[in-house]
Amino acid sequence: MNLFEKALIVDDEYHIRKYMGLVLRSMGVTTICEASNGAEGVVAYLSEQPDLVLLDVNMPVMDGIEALLEIRSLNAEASIVMLTSIATRNTIEQAVDGGALHYIRKDTPRDELIALLSGLLMEKNQAVS
Amino acid sequence: MPETTDQRLLAEAESSWLQTRGRKILLVDDERLNRSILRKILEPEGYVLEEADSAEAALAQYDSFAPDLVLFDVLLPGMNGFDACRELHRRYGEQAATVVFITAKQDSGAIVEGFNAGGVDYVLKPFRQKEVVARIHTHLQIRLLFAHQLTLVTQLSRANAAKTRFLSMAAHDLRNPLATIRGLSEFLLDGTVGPLTPEQAELVELIHNTSQGMVTLVNDLLDLATIESGEFKLDSAPTRLADLVGQSVNLTAMASTRKRTRIEFERGPDAPLIRVDATKARQVIDNLLSNAVKYSPPGSTIRVALEVGTNSQILRVFDQGPGIPEQERDRLFTDFGRLSTRTTGGEQSIGLGLAICRKIVESHHGTIEAVNQLDGGCEFCVTFPNLIT
Repeated sequence: MNLFEKALIVDDEYHIRKYMGLVLRSMGVTTICEASNGAEGVVAYLSEQPDLVLLDVNMPVMDGIEALLEIRSLNAEASIVMLTSIATRNTIEQAVDGGALHYIRKDTPRDELIALLSGLLMEKNQAVS
Repeated sequence: MPETTDQRLLAEAESSWLQTRGRKILLVDDERLNRSILRKILEPEGYVLEEADSAEAALAQYDSFAPDLVLFDVLLPGMNGFDACRELHRRYGEQAATVVFITAKQDSGAIVEGFNAGGVDYVLKPFRQKEVVARIHTHLQIRLLFAHQLTLVTQLSRANAAKTRFLSMAAHDLRNPLATIRGLSEFLLDGTVGPLTPEQAELVELIHNTSQGMVTLVNDLLDLATIESGEFKLDSAPTRLADLVGQSVNLTAMASTRKRTRIEFERGPDAPLIRVDATKARQVIDNLLSNAVKYSPPGSTIRVALEVGTNSQILRVFDQGPGIPEQERDRLFTDFGRLSTRTTGGEQSIGLGLAICRKIVESHHGTIEAVNQLDGGCEFCVTFPNLIT
């Protein structure tokens, strides 16, 4: 059974939200919510209670790392995957230390992206069930 | 019409290096008469002069006066002029003032020692006014010109670094939108969002291929910018090269099925692990393989071999392309050095791939070369040395 039915995509760029939405839908995620900065993302997380969050790193108002820490403090089990434009060692460390499942570069080819995310979700599914 | 930067720099250079008036000269001679003769000769030229009657006194007032040129008598009480000159170079290195020696007689031994000590010229006693003025003027000009060149080089490298930063920023900002276009066109193509007519599919496929080409281009530009900015760092770890080659062969084979290209990989005997940056080494292998596919006619067979040398591991890629035109050989591994050779399936190339490969291989202290084979086609050979780094 897929435990990831509802996902939240937090990115300030519309095209990324739209594209990632299609990626998740093709993986069987049925409900997609969107937010365009970290602060909106935290609010949406509370109201929507998604099973998975895709979280951009560089955003206005509140950046992704802050939002990651905020959401993890609300729910220590939250499944969050960071989206990055450029994976610097510093960002990766902050993401991993903050409890992100993984970090994914946005320009990853689609099929690789789907394989990566499916793998992560499968692991998480098994860990839960 | 506004001046161009070149014109402005040129004008600046001319006005500043021609101007030696106001430059500072330190006269070091234990005989007051010599100093006053030199003062009479040099003062009308507009130089600022200070005097010292010993090497020790000269060194003591050097810092506060900061002369452009020092005229050193050779025979001085206490430290002689040669040793004082050596001391100046020891203390100030390349920043030290230009040193011209004053010698009483034409003694070629002393003259040679003066040059060895770091002096650039000498003037003979008794002084001949016009000669002294001409020699001093010339050396001050050389000094100013040298300083100006240094300034220009600094300005140019700053400008170049700014250009590299701009390139990197522009490429970064282009990459994600391009990747989105590529990904969205894939969703359209595979019918995820509904069926397409054959003509629509053809157009969407064109969008997909074009955006794929641009993503590759942008990534190459980013790699180049990273290398140029000096931020290129290897993250080396013991690696099984054969595994990297295997992954690359599989991926390239998948991507080239439409061209019916076969890739044969001779794995060779089990090789020891080798220290390389796996991601970057993989980039080199991917590039060589995709080039081999690009330049070989459809239906070709590409051979890949991995050999273990005594102190290295050697990757060889044999294609069935047209080979490298002899007169274009030296451009092969240079930036934007695309040759007249055309790809055989309409694939795109901007000629950065091999330049990046060379930089990656060289940063591993390895070598990369290309040889035309006797029976046609080309062999690319990459050597990764075993390094304990």
